[in-house]
Formats: sequence, C-alpha cells, structure tokens
Amino acid sequence: MTYEATARKDSAAPASERTFWGRLSGWGPYMALATFVTASPRRQFLLLAIFPVLWVLTQHVGPMLQMLRVSLTDAYPVAPGVEQHLTIEHYLKFFQDQLFWQPFFRTLSFATVFTFCTLLLTYPVAYFLARHVSPKNRMLLLLLLLIPFWVGEIVRTFAIMILLGNTGAVNLVLKWLGLIDRPIPFMYTSFSMGVGIVYLTALYMLLPLYSALEKLPKSYNEAAADLGAGAWTRFRRVTLPLTLEGISSGCTLVFLISTGFYATPVLLGGPSTTVFAETIGGFFHVAGDQWPTGAAFAIIMFVAALLLTASFQKIMTLLRKGDTR
Amino acid sequence: MTKLILNRRKLLTTAAAGGALLASPAYLRRAHAQAGGEVNIWTYNDFVPAAFKEQFEAETGIKVNVRLVDDQGKQFSLLAAEAPNPTVDIMTVAGHRFLQFIDSDLLAPLDTDRLSNWGNINPTFSESDWATIQGNKWGAPILSGMEVLSYNTDLVSAEEAQSWQTLFSDQYAGQTAYVIQDMMSIVMLMMGYDGNMVEYLDDPEKAAAIVEEAKLFLIDNKDKVRKYYDGGAEVQQMFVNQDIALAQTWNGPGAALINDGFPLAMSIPQEGSYGFVYTFNVANNAPNMDNAYTFLNAILASPEVGAAMTKASGFISTYKGASEYLTDLEKKSTSFPDEQLANLQFFRAEANDMKYGLLDPAVEAIKAA
Amino acid sequence: MTRHNRILLSCVYWAFVAYVFIPLILMVMMGFKDSKFIGFPIKSWTLDWYTGVMGDAETLTAFGYSVAIAVLSTVVSILVGTWIAVLLEGRSFWGRAAIFGMTVLPALIPGIISAIAFRIYARLLGIEPGMGAIIWSHAVHNVPFVVLVVMARLSTLPKSQIEAARDLGADPLIAFLRITFPYLVPAIMGASIFCLLLSFDDFVRSFFLGGYEPTLPVLIFAKLKSGMSPEINAIATVALILTALIGVWAERFTRRMNKD
Repeated sequence: MTYEATARKDSAAPASERTFWGRLSGWGPYMALATFVTASPRRQFLLLAIFPVLWVLTQHVGPMLQMLRVSLTDAYPVAPGVEQHLTIEHYLKFFQDQLFWQPFFRTLSFATVFTFCTLLLTYPVAYFLARHVSPKNRMLLLLLLLIPFWVGEIVRTFAIMILLGNTGAVNLVLKWLGLIDRPIPFMYTSFSMGVGIVYLTALYMLLPLYSALEKLPKSYNEAAADLGAGAWTRFRRVTLPLTLEGISSGCTLVFLISTGFYATPVLLGGPSTTVFAETIGGFFHVAGDQWPTGAAFAIIMFVAALLLTASFQKIMTLLRKGDTR
Repeated sequence: MTKLILNRRKLLTTAAAGGALLASPAYLRRAHAQAGGEVNIWTYNDFVPAAFKEQFEAETGIKVNVRLVDDQGKQFSLLAAEAPNPTVDIMTVAGHRFLQFIDSDLLAPLDTDRLSNWGNINPTFSESDWATIQGNKWGAPILSGMEVLSYNTDLVSAEEAQSWQTLFSDQYAGQTAYVIQDMMSIVMLMMGYDGNMVEYLDDPEKAAAIVEEAKLFLIDNKDKVRKYYDGGAEVQQMFVNQDIALAQTWNGPGAALINDGFPLAMSIPQEGSYGFVYTFNVANNAPNMDNAYTFLNAILASPEVGAAMTKASGFISTYKGASEYLTDLEKKSTSFPDEQLANLQFFRAEANDMKYGLLDPAVEAIKAA
Repeated sequence: MTRHNRILLSCVYWAFVAYVFIPLILMVMMGFKDSKFIGFPIKSWTLDWYTGVMGDAETLTAFGYSVAIAVLSTVVSILVGTWIAVLLEGRSFWGRAAIFGMTVLPALIPGIISAIAFRIYARLLGIEPGMGAIIWSHAVHNVPFVVLVVMARLSTLPKSQIEAARDLGADPLIAFLRITFPYLVPAIMGASIFCLLLSFDDFVRSFFLGGYEPTLPVLIFAKLKSGMSPEINAIATVALILTALIGVWAERFTRRMNKD
C-alpha cells in the first residue's frame, strides 16, 4: 500500500481510531513514559541509540572480532600442545603474492559490471511497472516477477546449465530452427556466469527501483512536457535525478551481495573466471586448515568492498545535492 | 537431574529389549546391556541405509541421529569449531585426510577389539598401510573410491581412455574437465614422480621443483580444458549436457551415470591412479562412545548393508562378499579389470603438510594463468 | 512517441519475464524426467519423483522448518533493522559513520567465513546449535539489508509532515507511530521479502549452526552429493508451490485484518 493511500485512509478513519490515539496519549503510564523519554533531546537520543549500539557491538562486531583474532594467529584451530602466536603474515601474504590480486580485482570489477548490467536490465522493467501499468495490475505483475526467486540458488543454477548446455534448451531450439549445425558452447564462460549472477541480483535491484519510481508523481513529468521537454530530456532531467536514491540503494545492495557470491560463479564460470570468494573458500574447503589466511583475506575483501561502497554513496549524495541546486 | 532421566530411560529400554533378546543376532546381545540413548552421526546422504537404521533403532533402542554433510572440508571446520566437546559420535572421513583430524586431536583411535565384525572388512582396506597411523587404527573402512578417467563411449574409444594424455590431446580440446588438486597428483604420477610426495619429505627442493613442473604442464594445457570442477554432481551434469567428452572423476559419480544407462565408461589409465577410502570414525571425546561402537559393529555385520551403500553412492564396498547383492549393471559399474587395478595405489597423508603447502599456491596460479 | 515507448517497455518487461521464467519452467519439467539425472534428451516421463516428494516426511519437515526459521528471523531483523535505520538516517552525531560501518558488516563477510565466525561466537555466548542458533545468525546477517532499504525510504520522508504533527501536539513517539511508520510500510514489506528469501535460501549458516534437523537447502545439498536428480527439482517445485500458497494466504489474511 502506498503512503498516500495510508494517509488518505487515516484521514477518513472512523472516530474510534482517533480516540485510540487520543486515549493512548492521555493514558497515565504512557504519559509518564512519554515525559520520561522526551524530557530532553539528549535523553531522547540516548534512548534511541543505546539499543542499536549494543546490538551492533555484540552481534555484528563480536563475530567479526573472532575472525580478526583468527586472522592474526599463526595456526587455527590450535593443535594440542602447540602455543599460539600472533602474526600478520597472512595479510602480508596477500600483498606479497601477486597471484591473489587477479581474482581480487576480478571480483571487484565483475561486481561492478554485473551491478551495472542489472541496473540497465531492471530499470526499464521497474519503469514499465511503475509508470505504465494500472495500480490494480501493478502488484500482480510485480509478484509474478518475484516467483522464480523463491527457488534456491543451487536448483536455479542447475536449471541454467540445462538451458545453456551443449544439449541445452537454447541449443536444441537453434538446431531445430536450422540456425546451427553444431552446438554453441555457452556454458563455462563469462556469459553463462553473467546470466546466472544477474538472475540472482535482479530482485535486489528491482524492488528499490520500483519503490523509487512508484512514488514519483506523474505531474512532474507532465509539467516538464508542458514546458516543451522531449521524452529523453524529461527522463534525464526529471525522472533519473528523482530516482537516484533508489538507484543508489539498489546498486549498493547488489554490489555487496555480488562480492560474496560463491556457488554460482563456481558452478557456471569457466577456467579463467575465478572469483575471490572461491579463493577464500579454498582456504577452508580444500586445504581445510588454513583458517587464518582465509580469515585475513576475507577482511581484506571486506575493507575494499566497504571503501568502494562508501565512496559510491558519497558520489551519489553529491549528485543528488547537485541536482537540487 | 539429567542423569536420573537417562537412567530411567536406560532401564525402560533394557526391559523392553529383554523380550527380544532371543531373536536378536549375536552382535546385539552384548550391546543391549548399555543400550538406549542415542548416537550422533555425520555422514553423506544414504551412507547409512534407511532400512538398516530402522532395524538398528528397533533392536537396540538407540536413536540414530544423522546429520548430512556434503564436503570433507566443511565437516572438518564444523568439528574443529565444536572441539573439544563435540556433539558428534561418528563422522565419515576419507582415509587420506586422517592426519589433519588427528593432528588437531579430533579423532579417537579405534579400538578394533570392541568390533567383533572387524573381520568382515576386506583386509585390502582394513590392513592397508594408510589405515595405520601412529600405531593405531582410526576408522572402519566402508566404501572405496578412486580417481578414474571417465569417458563418453559414443565419442571416445576404450584405447584412447588407456592414457591420461588423452585429457590433454588436441582432439578433445574444450571437451575435458578435471579437479585441479586431484589432477596435480595425477600429473605428477604421469611424469613418473610420487604424487603423494612421501618420497620427497627429506628433499623439499625437489618437491617444489616437481610441483612447479606439474603446474607448468597444466598451465600449458589450460586452453584445452572446458572446466575446473569441484563436485561430482557438476561433472555428471557436464556429461549429460555433452559439454564434455571425457574427464577425471571419482568412480562413484561415474558409476551412478552408468547405472542410469548413460553411455559412459571408466578406466584406470596405464600411468596409474590414486584410491581413497571412506571410513566411519569415532570422534575424540564423543558423547556416546559406547553407542558409537555398538553402531559400528552392527553396520559391519552384514555384506547386504555394504551393498546398499554401494547402490546409493556408486563407490565400491569394502565388505567381503558385498558384490553378491548387486545387479549385473551395478557390478559392472563398480569393478575394474585386474590389470587396471594393478596400477592403483592409495593416497597417503604423511606428506600432506608439505604437499598442500606447495599445491595450494600452484592451484591458484593455474586458475590465475 | 509515448505509445512507442510504452510498447518498447512492455516488450522489455515480457522479455525479462521470459528470462526469469524459462529456467523455472525447465526446472519443473525436469521433475517429470524418468532418469536419475536432469537434462535433455528426455526419453520417458514419470510422476514418481513428485509423488515421492509429496509423501516424503523428511522433505516436508525440512520445508516447514525452513519456513519457520525464515519467518522468525525476519521478524527480528525487521525490528532491529528499522530501529537502526531510524537512528542513522538524517542525524549527524559523533560515531555515526562507525555505527553504519558496523551495521553493514555482516552482509560483507563471505558466507563460509561468517558461518564459522558465527559458530565460534555462538559457543562463546552459550547458544546451542539448532533452530535458535540458525534464527539468530540469519537475523544478524539480514539486518544490514533492512537498514539499507528502510534508510533509503526514510531519506525521502517529507520533514514537514513530522513538523506538522509535532505542531499539533503529538509527542515524538506518536509522531513516529502515526507518520513515520506508515510511510515506511512499503520499505518494510520489501525488506521482509529480502529477509525471507535470504533466510530461506541460506545454506552455509544453516549448516554450521544447525543441529541434526536439516533445513531445506541443507537437505538439498546433501542430496546433490549423489547427483543432480529430478528428485531435487521436484522438491524445489513442491516447495515453491507451498510457499506461493502460504504467500497468498498471508496476503488474504492481512487484507482481512486491515478491513476489520
């Protein structure tokens, strides 16, 4: 339900609902609570802040500190009778050995490229849903798009193999049409990997874009049209700037998620598309006892992704400010 | 409080089991005195046959909790995170990974005297050199696997499949797949070296040179591989989709394709290959140690159970006489000619620290090349 | 001009629908294949895989278990995430950037590492492996997604609305409940969908923090070990249909609640 609709419903609400809020704000214990909470802006802020701060410190940072500790030890899990030492060798390993740079930068650039592709692909879809579909059908068509995302990553990934393999659906159809004699090897390339990853990320882009476009008043565009702006100009000068916030949150989500992808790139990629998550996973999965190196590499990836996201957000904020000026 | 409940439950099951005593097979009679409670097992899907599990629970009153794992590395990580007080009694470890578990103090040595059915295992597996480490046995062998060359018989001839070299021939460029780590050991073998690297324990320089040579070989042949894969399901799908014509695989996934009627065959090439054995192991400090031994002894009792494991996994049973319970096709998919088996040796763990210390960076380098 | 645009856009939409649905259709279809492996060609068909799944208590239990975990962890994530978003958006205070950084932390750690970190930390906190531990790890992991989505919506809340409410004598709590919260509802709905999805599809955390009862993805991974069988497709299809039914029921239910 849109905010506008809620607001309308509120104003038309029966008297009983109003008296609920009226009664609440007049109720003794509530008044005491409200006075206590709002006694000073400082107290109000402290009460608001204390829970989130405690939560992120204990729940978010706690596990991470564990990992940091692991990344700084020379061996983990500790073998019995062996003393543990602190070391930064696992971090140095990354910076000293160029081997690891390639998957690292590949991951960052893949994530960027795939984020951009997802944006290009889903923006028109979200635009169509939000601007050209009647509100009655809108929810239905949006929900339709959500259905495939409820199938687990693995099952969906194997479905893509069935689609793109040498005896896959696409090659069968092309052959049947007489367009090809020999199957086209789609699988185990950057292409098959892209198809799989965009599939995974589309939803995380679609929803923020849709919610940004949906609340954009049509009147803005009409006003621009009255002023003689062409379709492209209207899009560039009105729609795009006003949906920057949706674009920014969608891109952030998709970028963060795609740096951590493991199963899909491993299953759909080729011999030369190793991503960093696979490298990190290898320290736990193949060798099994190189947790410290894996943990150190994960922290490096984390810092890099955070820096990139932060600068992206900064740029978007500047862009938005620039437009309102 | 907990103790009291446990005792009462023990009492109840003992009483109930008493009636069935005469009908129970001999292996259970000794066990029933301490029966009841539960036993916790980490294993692959279908490694504990459902029919056996039901029968065992009914006869002993011990509840069998199975936790499904899908990967050796994850199992190790999970157990390491639980140590020193694991929730698990029995795990399923591949023989050549014993050392990693032993070094971290995660496994208890197996007291084979407590297993009256130990003799039901083919001595090839139970008494093999990899099975004894630090003078102890560490697990009860249940299934045996090996690295084989699998090939689509419509596309590749049996003669071509006699050599690992076919994987790197121009004719099949873009139609091959392998697991890099496994392939590194095989390439070393192809080049006439010891892929287990035990021979070079005293000569790290030579070891490094050999790994370097194998690495360069795989890099040179990178343009011919379709996919470095990771799991059995992946390589099966590549065969079905005809994305590949031949691959290095474990025999289990290959056998499953053959049993489904896919035109696939497997060979142990003349350059040789490596085998490994899945074992049931008792965790160090296991919470239900006695029940674990009762379970192990029971599961080793009948070759029929061994055959059921083979049917489910495609790997070869270590039980004496298990093949009698297999269909002809299943027998065919789980047996190799003697002259090929002569080329097989087991993976060894002694040099693993050195080997994987060299192999892991090499694998990264191959992927990055 | 606009007409052309409209036609073009609807083509893009339906092409997108095709892109997301074709793999799905293949998945459903392969569940009918009479073989132990999925893929073309299909020589004969069978209903056995589907009827097998319908009668398989283990699979249905795992499905129920996964749904319960998804719903409960989502409730926690939404509550915590919204709270953090309200604190962070539109306020500048000392340490805000640090709190934001710590908030998005769980989303940035690769799955396997976060799972192991959670597992070790759970032991430190005395959380036993099992349903509670899985819910906890999913809730923590999904909070960043809620925060990002809710903050985006919150940043566009017209300040004048709050000010008007305050002018009319509403205290901050009531202003939040009557103005801010209703405005956030669409974002919260969207974030819930993310959380439910992320939790429902999660394998690593469920594996490391779970006990002896498998969630649906854990069961599927274990089954995958012996090959990608049509059975797995049948499981996924049945799970999809059941989820859809639950979704429709929930939608109806909330609509009726709203009417009352």
